[in-house]
Amino acid sequence: MIRDITIGQYLSGTSFMHKLDARVKIVCTFAYIITIFLCKNFWSLGLMVAFAALMTLLSRVPVRMLLRSLRPVAFILLFTAVLNLFYTKTGSVLFQWKFLILTDKGLYTAVFMAVRILSLVSVSALLTYTTTPTALTDGIEKLLSPLKLIKVPVHSLAMMMTLALRFIPTLIEEIDRIMSAQKARGADLETGGFIQRAKALLPVLIPLFVSAFRRAYELAFAMECRCYRGGEGRTRMKQMKLGVRDAVTAVCFVLLIAGVVLLGRFFPAVI
Amino acid sequence: MAVLEVRNLSHCYGAKTQMQVFAVKNVSLRVEAGELLGVIGHTGSGKSTLIQHFNGLLTPTSGEVLLDGENIFKDKATTHAARFRVGMCFQYPEYQLFEETVYKDISFGPRNMKLSDDEIDRRVRKAAQFVGLPDALLEKSPFDLSGGEKRRAAIAGVMAMEPEILVLDEPTAGLDPRGRDTILRLVEHYRTETGSTVILVSHSMEDIARMATKALVMNRGEAALYGTVDEVFSQGDKLVSMGLDVPAVTRIFLSLHDRGVPVRTDVYTNEQAAAEFRRLLGKEARA
Repeated sequence: MIRDITIGQYLSGTSFMHKLDARVKIVCTFAYIITIFLCKNFWSLGLMVAFAALMTLLSRVPVRMLLRSLRPVAFILLFTAVLNLFYTKTGSVLFQWKFLILTDKGLYTAVFMAVRILSLVSVSALLTYTTTPTALTDGIEKLLSPLKLIKVPVHSLAMMMTLALRFIPTLIEEIDRIMSAQKARGADLETGGFIQRAKALLPVLIPLFVSAFRRAYELAFAMECRCYRGGEGRTRMKQMKLGVRDAVTAVCFVLLIAGVVLLGRFFPAVI
Repeated sequence: MAVLEVRNLSHCYGAKTQMQVFAVKNVSLRVEAGELLGVIGHTGSGKSTLIQHFNGLLTPTSGEVLLDGENIFKDKATTHAARFRVGMCFQYPEYQLFEETVYKDISFGPRNMKLSDDEIDRRVRKAAQFVGLPDALLEKSPFDLSGGEKRRAAIAGVMAMEPEILVLDEPTAGLDPRGRDTILRLVEHYRTETGSTVILVSHSMEDIARMATKALVMNRGEAALYGTVDEVFSQGDKLVSMGLDVPAVTRIFLSLHDRGVPVRTDVYTNEQAAAEFRRLLGKEARA
């Protein structure tokens, strides 16, 4: 059923990761993703993986849920790994069969790419599992606020994101309802070729657009009635405050990056 | 023989998960040809889920739906055919309008039935006549109509399929009193004119009491009361205990009875109320 689609995969909880400030989480996630590409040997890679495992533990997100978020990238993962495995021609040859050449460097590159993709996807999944969509957009707004100086409408962008997320379930419900209504009039949405099916969707899409616009107007009026005038001078109900927890996390991340850089100096790169 | 028969129908959302909820539990009913069945119940009582089984939009978890004695879930073709035999008009049907002209929108159902052009034209014009849309409006865009006209155009879109059974889910929701009267009058007119069976889901006890021949009261997914309108509304106290609204006259008589006035409590129309008052006043005059 169409309503089984879940977007914004927040899992409610009270763990260390849940209580962390959204801004810290966003910055750290980005820092992690960049750092993982700085790893050139197994020592630094191991450190990064260990750190990801620690974060998973601190978030109390079940491993099963984390694995579920990896399922969509399984194909890309396999594809990248296989491609790297046979495409790297440098290094000593381990195995050769007709045109297929497997070198030690190729093997390492494949493993590195796979581990990188795995950890970057699971760390970003961890961010969305432990942060509500609202906190996420609030965090993005705060982080991007310096861009206001060069006239980027940061508040409007963040508000648009919040509203878009808010209306996803509403629109899914609406699609469901319109589909039932048209099916009741004999619309055939399931059979036929590609063109036929695209055409059959028109009776669903047109009412959907009409009602999306209607909702947008209604929402705009409702917001204006409550004196919404954009971000200028607007205060927040939930103030974002950085605490000890956030400071500790930031320090840990600085140490992590320093560790990766130092390990890169002391041990030779394998890729 | 019953046109529509429902046997021990249950529908369960989220079956085989921790969150399984029975929206409809073991409901059985028989609707004879030409009847008007009123379905009453709270939001979330399972009425909408129940009626979506009648034309095969939902498949029951258990139980069956028979049209003229034939199970509509027997095979795909039968289920598909049931869509045209049972015309379903959802709540706020005006949101399903999509074509460039009202005429084209009403003809959407008949076109899906693969009828001849002449037949489609005949049905569209007849349906428009039933809902009181003048010919001039047929060439307009449905988005240019007024709220009430849109609603009527959408109902015409279902009537144009000429279904044996017409199911209307809260056709008067969100309309002003005059709009409500228009819709209810046209439903009654349609029923007497075509002799088809009508199933009407409504919140308004007055409407059901006035129009229906039989009534079904849904409560927490179960058929709490089912019978003729007399049988159902004579149990006003039960309706009240389910948190349902009884017709205003019934409420008056129930509270008179509570205050010790010796009146009947199974009164649900103004005529019955008048008769009961006459009886009561006559008795007092003699005393």
